[in-house]
Amino acid sequence: MTEITRRTFVKVSAAAAGTTAVASKFLFGGLETVQHTDSLLLAQQLQEDTVNTTCWIGKQDCGIVATRLDGRVIKLEGLEAHPKNRGTLCPKGTAQIGAVYDPQRVKTPLIRTNAKGQTGEFRAASWNEALDLIAAKTKPVLEENPKLFLWQKGRSKAKAFYDKAFVKATGATKLGHGAYCSDAGYRAAEYNLGPKGVIHPDFKETRYLLSWGWNITAAGGNKTCWITWPQQMLDAKEKNGLKIVQIDPRLRPAGPHADEWLPIKPATDMAFALALCRELIQLDYLDKPYLKKHTNSPYLVGPDGLFLRADVPADAEEGTVGKALVFDLATGGTAPFDEAEDPALTGAYVIDDVTVKPSFQLFIEHVEGYTPEWAADICGTTAERIRHIAEEFGRQAQIGSTKVVDGVEIPYRPVGIMAYHMAQQELGFQALRAMITVAMLVGAPGAVGGQLVDFTWKISSSYDKYENLAVNEGPYDYTLGKSKFFPINSGLPGMLAKVMQDPQKYEVEELPKIVMLHYVNPIPSFASTKDFLDTYGMFEFVSVLTPWLSETADYFADVVLPTATMEKYEGPSSASDQYIDGKTIRLPVMDPLFESRGEIEIYIDLCERLGVLYGEGGYIEQVNKNLPLKDEFALPLDKKPDVRDIFDRWSRMEGLEGGIEYFEKNGVWIKGPVPATKRYGYATEIPFGGAVHRLYGESLLVAQNKQKELGADEVYWRDYTALPTWRTPTMEASPSEYDLYLLSYKLIEQKQMRTSMIPLLTELSGKQRLDINPETAASHGLKEGDDVVVESHNAVTGETRQVRTVVALSSAIRPDTVGMPHHFGGWSPKNNKGLGPSSNELYYTGEGYVTCTADQSFHVKVRVLKG
Amino acid sequence: MAKYAMAVDLSRCQGCRACMEACKIENNTPQGVFWMYVFRTESGEYPNTKVDFLPRPCQQCNNPPCVKVCPVGARFQRDDGIVLTDYDRCIGCRYCEVACPYGVNYYNWRKPEEAFADYNVDYKDPDIAAATGGLIPPYKNPALDRLQGTEQRLTAGSAHNVGVMEKCTFCVQRVDKGLDPACVDVCPVHALHFGDIEDANSPISQYVNRQTGFKLLEELGTDPSVFYLNGTPPGSDTREIERPLTEVGS
Repeated sequence: MTEITRRTFVKVSAAAAGTTAVASKFLFGGLETVQHTDSLLLAQQLQEDTVNTTCWIGKQDCGIVATRLDGRVIKLEGLEAHPKNRGTLCPKGTAQIGAVYDPQRVKTPLIRTNAKGQTGEFRAASWNEALDLIAAKTKPVLEENPKLFLWQKGRSKAKAFYDKAFVKATGATKLGHGAYCSDAGYRAAEYNLGPKGVIHPDFKETRYLLSWGWNITAAGGNKTCWITWPQQMLDAKEKNGLKIVQIDPRLRPAGPHADEWLPIKPATDMAFALALCRELIQLDYLDKPYLKKHTNSPYLVGPDGLFLRADVPADAEEGTVGKALVFDLATGGTAPFDEAEDPALTGAYVIDDVTVKPSFQLFIEHVEGYTPEWAADICGTTAERIRHIAEEFGRQAQIGSTKVVDGVEIPYRPVGIMAYHMAQQELGFQALRAMITVAMLVGAPGAVGGQLVDFTWKISSSYDKYENLAVNEGPYDYTLGKSKFFPINSGLPGMLAKVMQDPQKYEVEELPKIVMLHYVNPIPSFASTKDFLDTYGMFEFVSVLTPWLSETADYFADVVLPTATMEKYEGPSSASDQYIDGKTIRLPVMDPLFESRGEIEIYIDLCERLGVLYGEGGYIEQVNKNLPLKDEFALPLDKKPDVRDIFDRWSRMEGLEGGIEYFEKNGVWIKGPVPATKRYGYATEIPFGGAVHRLYGESLLVAQNKQKELGADEVYWRDYTALPTWRTPTMEASPSEYDLYLLSYKLIEQKQMRTSMIPLLTELSGKQRLDINPETAASHGLKEGDDVVVESHNAVTGETRQVRTVVALSSAIRPDTVGMPHHFGGWSPKNNKGLGPSSNELYYTGEGYVTCTADQSFHVKVRVLKG
Repeated sequence: MAKYAMAVDLSRCQGCRACMEACKIENNTPQGVFWMYVFRTESGEYPNTKVDFLPRPCQQCNNPPCVKVCPVGARFQRDDGIVLTDYDRCIGCRYCEVACPYGVNYYNWRKPEEAFADYNVDYKDPDIAAATGGLIPPYKNPALDRLQGTEQRLTAGSAHNVGVMEKCTFCVQRVDKGLDPACVDVCPVHALHFGDIEDANSPISQYVNRQTGFKLLEELGTDPSVFYLNGTPPGSDTREIERPLTEVGS
């Protein structure tokens, strides 16, 4: 940070571009004669056209128009009709042209010629040879036990073809990147409310937003990767006077758009949310009709923490349990929850000599000690500010009000929380449950202007599953699904690495033998780097589908298959912005460069070699089932499909005249506005899809009991509590010299590893750095640009890890916190080198650094030393 | 005759730099050259810190100091207000760079193919050349080398020849076709607006009139055509953060 005067300020960028005075040079030598004539002629001969397609970089598949000259793409621009990006693009969208024309892409299939665990040496191979080799190594595993074939993905852009058809046709075990993202947030929303997603606001109607974490202008969030949320947020500010409270250790995420900044300590979000809950109760900002009717707040809980239930009806199917009982104030006695006229939310009742209380009464008692003063101390803020936020949130919720939307009168609660990657913390699942509870207290879930989750109020299959969490006895499969360790299991590749290092500890008998990596590069991308370096050499065979030689491919691939970037068919993808629904397909902007190919074609060829392409249960049938393609549009099971034809059939089946030509012409199929009866939980045919919102997590407690019964250590069961319960995060046990919290965050110019392969984006984003408050820097003897060593400490094992980076002073971060973008750390293609380390090298995975749902935490205590 | 102007709504800008990237691709500028530049800044001290963003294209002054100092008439202003550089005439003396108070001028020190090599990618790679005809960068648009406007001078994008000056042209090649500049077109949050400021009914005139704003370094008498709305100019306490790289491959 350099102080500059107003006049010099605007000149600084040109000066930075390298104006070392070379006065003697500028009029002499090296000057070119301007030669525009040849180019002019060239331009006259060129044929210009455009291709409609979708973004390949991000997750939201923005609509793109590619301008071509004689088939060569010269520009990517936003497609006007696409609801998600409305004719615009983010820097990544524009810059992906650099990925298309990257000479350092993998050009041919590669076969390894040296030992693994070191910089790879490869020879070029034909597609036939490479696919034959993969098939030869995969077939015996499929015959022995297909579950030992691990298919691991980063981002998949055509789930029906990859996650569904390929995984089902082969019987492989699928592992996503998920739990490195915001899965704890998904699980919390599925558990408490039902829909699949992480909480986001109804921007068209909301007036007051708690923007929690670093996503809002830095990385989008739930369901979108960026453009859509910022557009809606700004429109809401302008049209509705939306107020934004940024709750994050850094101000940068909301920047000038924050009306208030509440910099709380990293990983203390649950304490903050619980204090908000307590204050809302104290202030009586409670939507009692909602709590009584749509949540389990009235359910009576016995001394064992379980619901009091009616007897199991005689004709009940095996395994069903009786209906939870409530105390009906109208009759003065108990009644099944769906039969009571006026269920009590508070009080204590003696039923059959046992004192029972409504869940809500227990919640009141539970949060009684979570005072603003208590939370202020933990969060590093003041009690006044917490009270003020609670009061504003409660008041702005306008409890009791309604609004007519699309002709339907719906409860109106114009307050919401936007949270996404802040779920990536040790207490993430329960922290998000606490935040959802804040919204529940005022009746905001599914209300107009209130707390939304998915783009439509559709209940996830997990909601029912979570009623009875399976906690089985070992041995467990290697993902630890249904285990006593993680009864709710998001599937964390880091935990798999831990399991592979010590299967006995996790009661796992069979480990995966071979792995196929689909657009995933765990070594630099995931925490913790060391665990992946220690693990991927254990696979008998590693194949990688990637456009670049990723670091994981470099060290561990036996075979690398070069995939196309934007030069392929992929999809279909949602084009919805939550208000307008639509569908789109990625269309090739040109033929694949080099010998690269689209993944769908690759899987078709591979399945043919594996003998799982044709016939019943084969890949083709799975495509029919999952895309889906029905009736006369279904693919014949005995004929190798053509990818364009598959999408053509799908388009026709959806009723689009001209089939895929519809997308070639229009780029996007707009299905129309999402009606209020689909968006708002209160307004769905059966309100909230019939899901009872779980303020009280009985099944979590049941799982805890079962975990204990099976001898699981406390570290696994301690957060399976019915109500979100604060405890000090593990990292606080690190010695006091680790005086700073490290958090990582996303840069708007970067996304997954694929963006750091694009120098055009690195140019904009800069390289790795350590954000540090000037006050902290001064006390550590550091100044802007200093080389530093950041050393992290694992409070469980005592292990330390170090990376070197440079100081970037920022007054917009808490003095007790330092930040690093979580990109970079690559070494493999030349254009990815030298950008600095990945913060994932500093993070730990496993006990203490994952949530109770096996999601990664991105918080650790560090110290910063002059480098 | 239209008079072109740009309006930057600082209350919408998110500092994402999409405009910088769209400019780079549209105008094929080499590494480290930003005809459009977005400052990301901090001011104040924790916890009363402010974060702001300030996109800065060429201010397209109506009283352009760069035009006055150009000894060869290479820097000139069109009737529609756009200040351009005639690359055929420019002798690379850099007087314009010195005269401009906004720091928007760039001198081409190296041949484009050398400058693009800083991106750490070898665009001379034969497999790429086979797909691009050997053009550098591979997305190069030769149409930019056409003579522009009624004045028929070489003023748009892509030559980037050694020894000449260049800067933002308001995307003259697009404006002449009735399109908005690339930065305006791409802006994901519609913070940038462009149009004829002399037409009282044009959207930009309506927009500018409705908002409170300032111009950069207005006191210097340059009379810029870029209006900044709903924000404040950088002050003495403003510090730049997150500078882009000027040398990616170093």
